[in-house]
Amino acid sequence: MTRTFTCIICPNGCEITAQYEGTRVDAIEGATCPKGADYVRQELTDPRRNIATSILVEGGELPLVSVRLDKPIPKKDIFRVMEAINQLKVTAPTVIGQVVLPDVCGLGANVIITKNVAAL
Amino acid sequence: MQQNYDVVIIGGGVVGSAIARELSRYRLRIAVLEKESDVCTQTSGRNTGMLHAGFLYKTGTLKAICAVEGNQEFDQVAAELDIPFKRTGKLIVGFTDEDRQRLENFKARGEANGVKGLEIIDRKRMDELDPSAGGNFAMWCPASGILDPFLYTIALAENAVHNGVEYHLNCAFTGETRQADGTHLLHTTQGDVSTRWVVNSAGLNSAVVSEQLGIPGYVIKPVKGEYFVLDKLAGQYAKIPVYPAPNPDNTFDTHATPTVDGNVLVGPDSQLARDFQDYESTQAAMDGLIESGSRMFKHMDRSYFIRNFAGIRPKRIDPETGVVQDFVLECRDEVPGVVNLVGIESPGLTSALPLARRAVALIAQREVLTPNPNFDPVRHGIRRFADMSDEERAQAIAENPDYGEIYCRCEKVTRAEILQAIHNPLGVHTVNGVKVRTRATMGRCQGGYCETRITEALHQELGEAFARIDLGPQGSWMFTGSVKGGDQA
Amino acid sequence: MNVERHQAVVVGGGPAGLAAAIQLREKGIDDVVILEREHRTGGILRQCIHDGFGLTRFGETLSGPEYAQRFVDRAEELGIPCLTDTTVLTLEADRTLTASGPAGLRKIQGDAVILTMGCRERTRGALAIPGSRPAGIYTAGVAQEYINLRNLMVGREVVILGSGDIGLIMARRMTLEGAHVKGVYEVQPYPSGLPRNIEQCLNDYNIPLHLSHTVTDIHGRERLEGVTISQVDEHFRPIPGTEERVDCDTLILSVGLIPAGDIANGSGLAVDGRTKGAFVDEHYQTNLPGVFSAGNVLHVHDLVDFVSLEAEALAAAAAEYLKQGSLPPCPLEVKAGKNVGHVIPQRISGKRGFTLSLRVRQPMKKVTLTVTQNGREVLRRKFPKALPAEMIQLAVAAEKLETTGDLEVSVE
Repeated sequence: MTRTFTCIICPNGCEITAQYEGTRVDAIEGATCPKGADYVRQELTDPRRNIATSILVEGGELPLVSVRLDKPIPKKDIFRVMEAINQLKVTAPTVIGQVVLPDVCGLGANVIITKNVAAL
Repeated sequence: MQQNYDVVIIGGGVVGSAIARELSRYRLRIAVLEKESDVCTQTSGRNTGMLHAGFLYKTGTLKAICAVEGNQEFDQVAAELDIPFKRTGKLIVGFTDEDRQRLENFKARGEANGVKGLEIIDRKRMDELDPSAGGNFAMWCPASGILDPFLYTIALAENAVHNGVEYHLNCAFTGETRQADGTHLLHTTQGDVSTRWVVNSAGLNSAVVSEQLGIPGYVIKPVKGEYFVLDKLAGQYAKIPVYPAPNPDNTFDTHATPTVDGNVLVGPDSQLARDFQDYESTQAAMDGLIESGSRMFKHMDRSYFIRNFAGIRPKRIDPETGVVQDFVLECRDEVPGVVNLVGIESPGLTSALPLARRAVALIAQREVLTPNPNFDPVRHGIRRFADMSDEERAQAIAENPDYGEIYCRCEKVTRAEILQAIHNPLGVHTVNGVKVRTRATMGRCQGGYCETRITEALHQELGEAFARIDLGPQGSWMFTGSVKGGDQA
Repeated sequence: MNVERHQAVVVGGGPAGLAAAIQLREKGIDDVVILEREHRTGGILRQCIHDGFGLTRFGETLSGPEYAQRFVDRAEELGIPCLTDTTVLTLEADRTLTASGPAGLRKIQGDAVILTMGCRERTRGALAIPGSRPAGIYTAGVAQEYINLRNLMVGREVVILGSGDIGLIMARRMTLEGAHVKGVYEVQPYPSGLPRNIEQCLNDYNIPLHLSHTVTDIHGRERLEGVTISQVDEHFRPIPGTEERVDCDTLILSVGLIPAGDIANGSGLAVDGRTKGAFVDEHYQTNLPGVFSAGNVLHVHDLVDFVSLEAEALAAAAAEYLKQGSLPPCPLEVKAGKNVGHVIPQRISGKRGFTLSLRVRQPMKKVTLTVTQNGREVLRRKFPKALPAEMIQLAVAAEKLETTGDLEVSVE
């Protein structure tokens, strides 16, 4: 089988053409760095993504504080994780890196704060 | 709404608001019914903002008489109402011998109408006046001027309110029942009101309202005109309005007009509108404006485009011949208690106060009006940071720190002005209401920087839920609600 | 009115301004001040909550606010004064700035003035899209501010015009927040955003991208009710008969960014019609002596990492200017040759190495970039592909340059 991937690891966005059988990659063309091959292998076996959103913050100078995951989760779980994040709420001040939900949905990734929001 | 009025005015455009203001000189209970969310959303706000001189109209018509009268008094009007106005003069340019003949004819007509200072000038003189104007020769009309049609209408309405008139916004007139005592019971979308007098200044709907009030037979043709608004960077090349020689039917083709704020308007064209709400811009008309506008204005460049809009002129026509007719201003004995204005189109902005005085006179011929001893003709507008000197700015900020906080970057509108606009005397609570009162969102970024601040301020100042904030007309919601819950939306 | 004086005045506390100010201090310029119109520094990154920033600059992938905070923290450590809530109104040729804030109106003159105001979004009016003017039409950045900073959802059924990166990012953001993004329409035959954003923002969520399509009509009087989409020919003219109505309550525009150098209108600052930013030399100095410009106000970047690096290069040159009182003259022109949309810098000395930035006019594969001077090749580099969405940056070494003769950059 042959398929063309757009690598999302870095802004170069290499177009990588891979020949594969099931999850076994036989040949790769177009990657300008070794991460390309890893990305293709991951996409074939278990595609993963990070997501970013916001949660409510109480008593802060902004109504929302941004969050993201500290490692990618399976693509198929994105909306399940969004539902879990949508239940979250924190109190200002918030600090970058603060974990607001460890091991979201048992997927091994933490939801972390990505913005310092001062208290009012 | 109060139930009994002496006069109810249907339509709060520039003419209705001028009538309200002139009637407030007398001891009368007056209300204005406006079906839209603000007073200048239709024909009154959708035009070139031109103070016409009156050379175009047939001698002796109301259009000619009112335009000349309105033009001559406008310096005082602008001062009383505290609105931006510039008597720029106007060039009506020609290319051909035929054009020259028409310009000569209009000069003669203008002089007969009482327009002062008209001259036919050559290219050399045109270059002195405005080198960016196209054409080989021109008629120079020093009496013409430019004004802000939004602020003029708003100022008339605010002055009327200041003198006791009530405005009912989002209140559409739906019909009339004549009562046994001769008074009118007016049906509206906000309930019934009774009144001794009704004034029809419904603009685009004036023929329909006229019929509802018992005077059928008028035919209004909606004629749409589209415009481009150009950046102030183009405005530096446009000093005075430049019009082409009028067509044989006395209409003007596309022209380029500097606005009183320093932008340039290119337009309008002229096309039959689909209906009275057909404000859509069309590709064909835009292409036409680019082509014809380039002949009038040498700097008609895409990089200067910041916005398009369309307006509709309610042209009263003879149903038999289709020929455009004069303004109607009447009070018929067989339909007592009704002052009827139909087909007020250009030069309606210039003619608004002269028409208003004549409307008041029609009432005064039928009953004695008692002067309102408290009438105050002066209205104060929102002081604009953009118009201040550095010293004035420093002083304004010292007095009110909100004058230092820039909300609209492009037009240099401060938080202080936004807050004054939100708490306007008419009770208009929309984003567009703030826009037309302050110019915020009217610059080259079109609200990219300030719109979020304006909606926040509307929420904060009025305690209005975000989901209930409208851009302009009722139903023009901007937000479905909050993203993540919480109490603010 | 009193005029405050500083060695370096930085206009804008976004990624470019923060990086420039920090670098100026690190190069030994003690008196540096930042003017920022918002209540907080960080600029547009404050609302760019997605990840993918910092790979070049920090070797890790961060969200926008995290990326910005690293510079904010460093500026605080260095004690760089930052006047927030201060909007610069005008720049004059003598490097005097007039700025306004609730604390008052002030005039500030810098021995060097650093312009780092970023960019703004192209609007519906600039495109002159026909149709009505209902509520529900937002530029991508405004929608992003409402959704990410103000907790306000702008619509449910969404059409996106333009495939710029912010539009792609917003397609994913709005989908994650429960909106239905019906499609992204791009007038060009190729996407204008980065390939990885097409992949992770559209393809991941099954959002269709329609190339060579545009919005030709807008429907609805109060709130948006739908748009008409048409296919376009190679001259971007709608093809009659291809019109299709798509019902939606929201139209997001991601149709280009324009440097926001408005404060310099009237100062005599020379602007390049291609970039809409200033003409600069290899020191990022404009035609006004002592006025420098970098980041998105100079030319629109696709990656913030390059904004920071460019601002740091500017600061190094500005520090030299402040210490020496001048910089080497730059009489040689750098010309955009075949297939090149624009170049930065537009002028060089011919005596020093410099960073060349450029964008190609259309997507190409297996290309060779050449820089020539006096008919001689100064630099030659092969790339597997070149896209208008991706800025190309490379270093040109001093030893390859001659001190006379203009440069020409071409891609074939």
